[in-house]
Amino acid sequence: MRGLYIHIPFCVSKCFYCDFYSVSEKLGLMDEYIDVLLAEADSCRGMDFSTLYLGGGTPSILGAERLEKLVIGLRRRFDLHDLQESTIEVNPESAGIDLLATAYRLGIGRVSIGIQSLNDGELKKSGRAHNRRQALETIDSALSSGYRNISADIMIGLPGQTAQSLGETLSVLTGAGINHVSAYCLSVEEGTAFYRCPPPDLPGEDEQASLFEYAVDILKTHGFVHYEISNLARPGSECLHNLNYWRGGEYLGLGPAAASHISGTRFRNSPNLERYLVDPLSDREGEEHLEDASKAGEEAMLRLRLVQEGLDMQKMNNKYGRNAIEGVEARPNKLVGRRSLAREGDVFRLQPAYVLISNSVFIDVIG
Amino acid sequence: MNNIRNFSIIAHIDHGKSTLADRILEMTGMVRKTSMDQMLDNMDLERERGITIKAKAVRIPYRAVDGKEYILNLIDTPGHVDFSYEVSRSLKACEGAVLLVDATQGVEAQTIANANLAIDAGLKIIPVINKIDLPGAMLDDCALQLYTMLGLSIEDILHVSAKDGRGVADLLEAIVERIPSPSGEASDPLKCLIFDSFFDPYRGVIPHLRVFSGRIVAGDKIMLKSSGRIFEIEEVGYFSLGLAQSEQLQAGEVGYAVALIRNAGEIHVGDTVVAADHPEVAAVPGFRLSQSMVYCGIYPIITSDYAKLGAALDKFKLNDSSVVFEKENSAALGYGYRMGFLGMLHMEIALERLKREYEQDIIATMPSVIYRVICKDGEVLMLDNPSKFPPEGQIDRIEEPVIRTRIIVPSDYVGPCMELSDAKRGVLAGIEHPDDKRAILVYDLPLAEMITDFYDRLKSVSRGYASMDYEMNGYRTGDLVKVDILVNNGPVDALSYIAPREGAATRGRALIHKLSKTIPKHLFKIPLQAAIGSQIIAREDIFPRRKDVLAKCYGGDITRKRKLLEKQKEGKKKMKMVGFVEVPQEAFLSLMKIED
Repeated sequence: MRGLYIHIPFCVSKCFYCDFYSVSEKLGLMDEYIDVLLAEADSCRGMDFSTLYLGGGTPSILGAERLEKLVIGLRRRFDLHDLQESTIEVNPESAGIDLLATAYRLGIGRVSIGIQSLNDGELKKSGRAHNRRQALETIDSALSSGYRNISADIMIGLPGQTAQSLGETLSVLTGAGINHVSAYCLSVEEGTAFYRCPPPDLPGEDEQASLFEYAVDILKTHGFVHYEISNLARPGSECLHNLNYWRGGEYLGLGPAAASHISGTRFRNSPNLERYLVDPLSDREGEEHLEDASKAGEEAMLRLRLVQEGLDMQKMNNKYGRNAIEGVEARPNKLVGRRSLAREGDVFRLQPAYVLISNSVFIDVIG
Repeated sequence: MNNIRNFSIIAHIDHGKSTLADRILEMTGMVRKTSMDQMLDNMDLERERGITIKAKAVRIPYRAVDGKEYILNLIDTPGHVDFSYEVSRSLKACEGAVLLVDATQGVEAQTIANANLAIDAGLKIIPVINKIDLPGAMLDDCALQLYTMLGLSIEDILHVSAKDGRGVADLLEAIVERIPSPSGEASDPLKCLIFDSFFDPYRGVIPHLRVFSGRIVAGDKIMLKSSGRIFEIEEVGYFSLGLAQSEQLQAGEVGYAVALIRNAGEIHVGDTVVAADHPEVAAVPGFRLSQSMVYCGIYPIITSDYAKLGAALDKFKLNDSSVVFEKENSAALGYGYRMGFLGMLHMEIALERLKREYEQDIIATMPSVIYRVICKDGEVLMLDNPSKFPPEGQIDRIEEPVIRTRIIVPSDYVGPCMELSDAKRGVLAGIEHPDDKRAILVYDLPLAEMITDFYDRLKSVSRGYASMDYEMNGYRTGDLVKVDILVNNGPVDALSYIAPREGAATRGRALIHKLSKTIPKHLFKIPLQAAIGSQIIAREDIFPRRKDVLAKCYGGDITRKRKLLEKQKEGKKKMKMVGFVEVPQEAFLSLMKIED
């Protein structure tokens, strides 16, 4: 299992809470960008992948034509015959029927829509470029383009958000044909507009926790399974590409700020579009190759994010060997005593009460 | 001996003492220009804080305008009130002092305090106005202040810029002309003053000596007047920029002696050294053992590091014999030490050095003064640790140490400074008006108020213009109570403190509130309470943490996520476990800075 991640660092505008790498002033560089990205892909020509994920930024901003060029370019360079899943992230303001139909025709069978909320007030205060109507139209367009795997990104803790508005958003979405939800809590990060100027009606930490728990409850009543800390899906609709991250799998990331994990080594491209365009291969940073015991600790931490699947010591043993996982077994065992983890046979699972405070558990797991 | 001049430079903090010393070393050819800033300040910390902690000396050969060769012994002095005893001993080793005043600041509290020490020691004073290169220089005002506040002659005043060297040549000449050469006979029995010392790991404690009479050579047997202990001299020498061995030290000279003194506790600044065969020679007057004014508990973050901390303290004491420490045991913090310091600045510096130079991960508890507790059965206890106080019912009264402080303040700020002093339980002992621009407020103030935040507050209410100096002024009865702090329903003895009964509740609330902001949220609710005896005077709860700040893990950048977790884990290690509660280091010391 190996994933291919393509980063599209362009957005029509920067959302007030966003600290991902994206640019909104240099949209004229998109054509050049596709060429350079394919040049980076050339350096790994021939690799095979099981999942493809176009993320951003806003991949839908490319438009149908560039998207086609990109996907065909990737197919020429990589072995994508056994793709089990491919996803494109889209934002409502740039995901017209044309783009969605093209994506579907190109074999991208899963779409993840950056809806965040169906409340126009919340969207506006967060600097989103779309409104409720556009969000619902995008779902309709996706359905009519043939999509059956549709995910929605939902933000918990938007300015002015209440349990009522969140509940309304989720009920409408589940009724509209969504089968996967990524629910991220808003955090005010340095360098964002919210950091410089925090809105007065931003829900506090405790309020956010309540909103999150409420969202999970609603989605569960609609048949969703809480399979990862921030992700819920109808059974069988989990995101395979992301599951691979959390199972310690391999992936290649192309584009500025994209992270990779190949043969046990993690690295990422610098978040710098200009330098990337000059030479996409010379700007890697943070290369890291952990020894087995640390690597196993890291994977244990990742696997515990999978609330249902949990951390299976049998699998860890097969992968790393008994010596390397000694600590990985001992540390979670201690946490079972503190009731933040439960153990069932060979499997450790994060207890529901600790989902939002998992960091306190993870720091004791990584060793 | 006629060609020797022993002198110090004395000044209020930041008035340019170290810069002037540098310039003198440069202009006499001792060091090349720009070789190293501020030669006399050895320790990093001193440079960072811009103050000299320990006195040092340097012997400067100087050819004067009269064509003769002179030896100038510059004895550096610490510039802070915590070290006034050390200053007085350094001055005792001199015949003259250069009194430095910043032209933009004028005479300040420590200018006066230091000048008075010099006058008491009978020194010839050369008044010098420094920083004349600055645009805000007020030469006339400063001159007038030196005259009215210290009685110095205006015509004696020199003007220099230690920064660009202007006037320094004239100052060197004035040192030769005005400061008397030392008196005393080399043929008389030996008599030296110890004015400083340092520890050398190979040669033991090396005292700095001023020889008043007689001579001292290798092989001599010497006796310390205060203890009667006898040592054999192995080597003597002068202070060049390092130590320069010489054949002898004789009357009038300044230098060092090596005598394989292993224990820093043997050598006390102010002690007199005499020849072992002339023990009858009288001591230099004014000797006293340095006295700790402020105490705090120090505990290793990790309980098992207790032995390591003890070893570090032993080593530290070799370097700074003015600290005292003894074992202490806290129910909340485990095994640690009670440490005594000359004052707050001394405490801050010592703790910082323990952390930095001796690499100790420690927490320090709230500083305390020594209370005199008179029990109903007549017993008198001297207690420096609130947790050792007897139950309230057994106490007849509590007396606390008082300082006499002199605050120099521009007339415009007299009101706020008096309000502050009154609020801090000060009793006005007098107001002086040396000129129409400034007042000197003399207050008797509990030392406990001084060691919390009095100085910071004084600076803030006077917009930085007030300066102060203090000396101990006995004990006085106060209406004081012991306040206990309970974290998660358990009393934390290390957080107990003594406070005036009036306002104890207000202060308790402020403290609890601050604590609630310092202790991170846990997974369970933590009640915080302040109590006098069994009466709860303040309560606040830290509610359970319901959500991590960083719960997301997106885009496959696992390395970043792991590093954040590792950082969090490191932070956790810096916390002290008190019961089931993780209390950060800052919690203990930050509590002393409570706004009323």
